[in-house]
Amino acid sequence: MSEHCYHCGDEVIGKGVHYDNKVFCCNGCKGVYQLLSDNALGDFYNMENKPGTKPLNSDVHRYAFLNVEEIRSKFIDFEDDKITIVTLFLPKIHCSSCIYLLENITKIEPAIQSCQVDFSKRTANIIFDHNKLSLENLALLLDRIGYAPNFSSQKEIKKKRDLSYLYKLGVAGFAFGSIMLWTFPEYLGVSEDNPEFRNFSAWLSFAVSLPVLFYSANEYLISAFKTLRYGSINLDVPISLGILALYFKSAYNIFSGLGPGYMDSFAGFVFFLLIGKWFQSKTYDSLSFERDYTSYFPVAVSRINTDGEEIVEIDKLQIGDTIRLRNEEVIPCDSELVSKSTQIDFSFVTGESEPVQKKAGEFIYAGGRVKGDAIDLRVVKESSRSHLTQLWNDAGEKHGKTENTDKVSIYFLVAVLVIAAITAIYYSITGSESVTEIVVAVLIVACPCALALSKPFTYGNIMRVMGRYGLYLKNTGVIPTLNEIKHIVFDKTGTLTKNDPEAINFEGTPLNETEKGLILITANSSTHPLSRAIVRHLLQEKPDTSSFEISAYTENSGQGVKAMIGDTEIRLGSASFVEAPKEEHIDETATYISINGRYRGKYIFKSSIRDGVPELLSQLEERYKIHVLSGDKEKDRNMIAEMLQDDSNLQFSCTPKEKSEYIQYLQNTGEKVLMIGDGLNDSGALERADVGIAVSEDMFRFTPSSDAIIKSDSLNKLDRLLKLSNYAKKVLRVCYGFSLIYNVLGLSFAVSGQLTPLVAAILMPISSITIVVIATFSTVFKRI
Amino acid sequence: MGIIYLMLVVSLVIALFFLASFLWAAKTGQYDDDYTPSVRILFDDEQNQTSNNQTNGSREV
Repeated sequence: MSEHCYHCGDEVIGKGVHYDNKVFCCNGCKGVYQLLSDNALGDFYNMENKPGTKPLNSDVHRYAFLNVEEIRSKFIDFEDDKITIVTLFLPKIHCSSCIYLLENITKIEPAIQSCQVDFSKRTANIIFDHNKLSLENLALLLDRIGYAPNFSSQKEIKKKRDLSYLYKLGVAGFAFGSIMLWTFPEYLGVSEDNPEFRNFSAWLSFAVSLPVLFYSANEYLISAFKTLRYGSINLDVPISLGILALYFKSAYNIFSGLGPGYMDSFAGFVFFLLIGKWFQSKTYDSLSFERDYTSYFPVAVSRINTDGEEIVEIDKLQIGDTIRLRNEEVIPCDSELVSKSTQIDFSFVTGESEPVQKKAGEFIYAGGRVKGDAIDLRVVKESSRSHLTQLWNDAGEKHGKTENTDKVSIYFLVAVLVIAAITAIYYSITGSESVTEIVVAVLIVACPCALALSKPFTYGNIMRVMGRYGLYLKNTGVIPTLNEIKHIVFDKTGTLTKNDPEAINFEGTPLNETEKGLILITANSSTHPLSRAIVRHLLQEKPDTSSFEISAYTENSGQGVKAMIGDTEIRLGSASFVEAPKEEHIDETATYISINGRYRGKYIFKSSIRDGVPELLSQLEERYKIHVLSGDKEKDRNMIAEMLQDDSNLQFSCTPKEKSEYIQYLQNTGEKVLMIGDGLNDSGALERADVGIAVSEDMFRFTPSSDAIIKSDSLNKLDRLLKLSNYAKKVLRVCYGFSLIYNVLGLSFAVSGQLTPLVAAILMPISSITIVVIATFSTVFKRI
Repeated sequence: MGIIYLMLVVSLVIALFFLASFLWAAKTGQYDDDYTPSVRILFDDEQNQTSNNQTNGSREV
């Protein structure tokens, strides 16, 4: 029983598939192995242990839309009469062996000239000869070796990365280094004796500083100018004030022959600010999880017209059109079933694992997946107006999240201006001749450069730490909101509960060891979620399957599976497929079993509470008000209520709209709400909440546009993750404290009229570096 | 003392050279993906040979 598939590493059940002295769990894995070893790519297996991805049996028509020129041209980067270049998103890329395999794909298909993988973006840039290989066949080949391309999120990939930060950083760094070198004699005091040399280096510095002001720093200046014009204020205003004061003071010095002024501080200052911005953009890049929910909807669909079938884009569908969908395809729009009957898997929408039976004429919502034979549907609503999109759009206008730093920056600016004014008045009363110089010095040294760096570094690092523990934030703006949360609303199904193999009950004539083995090996041949659950359940009993081999196997999608093992026939599936007696039919999710045509019983699936949830809830209840919403009937009320001290906030039988309204109702009290849910039917509520966290079993399969995604097995760490976000707030306070100390220290020098170029030049970069060091070291090594 | 002017100019030219290399590297996408190349370099060289005389069949682990 301890054998593992040579390709994908799954446990081999029964005899498995033997080939080349190796064991595989299924024919799919064997097929990939065969393909690789025939093309001398056996090294794939040497790099990582069991690196493969199980190929799913997919339908050969899946990529047929790529033959429609209009659609195809959207995915192509470049094309001439010989070659085509495409960049494809391959979400299944997960290890270094994947890179090896994909970059050597040329050996499998000589028509591919090169394939270059970008691991962090999970894309591959492929150059191929379109006379020998069509884009459709390329997609099918990738699919066959386990890397199904995702064409729906293509827009995301096409976005060119913004390199201007790097350019600006380069220019600022160059100027910083050069000017510092030329200013060096100034610090040593040797240049006063050489006015000619002093002038030369000063003018050189001035020349080099021009691109820093007009190119590297332009974003701060433009942003400050724009906000001022709209009568508001942001942190860029005091920064720009400092930058400009520093620059013009230095320029004045240069023009009047007083040496290079503070040009090195100026360039260094811009350089550090840009490092902060660059760091911020880098953090976003590595977490480009945000994919449109439409990535789950197909790109194109086949429409039935008088001449037969044609492939059209989803947006072009009109009400009344008839479309044909095949097994495993997603229903793109609300529609009505034309075919006799079908099974639709709504697990993606509702979290319910059992497919729903639909009969001719019934209304079907978009988002379900067709199980079984091809069906015809009549379009009732155009895709863009479908029920799900609408729900999404309703919540689209996200509440205005006020930026906290804006308040800080107002105080800051006011304080700086007041101090500058007092200084100016004081020195003009005492009749000092260097009033302007001192006021300028005040403005320079009060510049909140360190303050501006505190936030991107602290929050950026905390975001990474959270990612390490399975919580992925959309951006750093989520962290301050997380700290203000008063209410936590949980969705029940799929969030607090899950389908659990241990919560399967068998009802019926007791099975002996052999029969359990037979059922196990049959269920293992199917990829249906319920079959997988039965497999996991039966594996705990470790029945002996080594002597069984399936001789014939058929799977009727949405109905069940039938297998011949020796001369025994096993059927697993729906009540009608197994021909269970009428009185055995129940409302709960169940799989029925018959052996040799005789009904034996059923496996009943119960949802159970996720591991760690009771502890999590009691921890959270100390600090937050807990609410639980569920679309289900009240049957699990007691199970939930037991875990809560205050069980007054449980709502059952909620529609998605009611969930969203419930959140709105809580927000009306003025308190912030955190919603944790999954499935598209929670999307409205997730959007509505101040912070919406989606629970995901598989990071690459489900990523709606919520504020954050949490891995389902990290949910029990939620309490500690929220504390981590609180910790970020504390680190930020320390950083703010330090930058204030620096500013106050600098100001006191400036106000007393003692700000020498030396002090300014040292104080500014040092304050920035300290903040970066504090923010980085106090967060990166943080454990929860 | 005249040599110092020459040295200042030389330092500027050298710094400009490095700035230009940096901008070129950024533009040609050399900072785009900082993970994959570190893996790619560990692959056996045989992948680059277009005509290898490997026999068809698997290689044992």
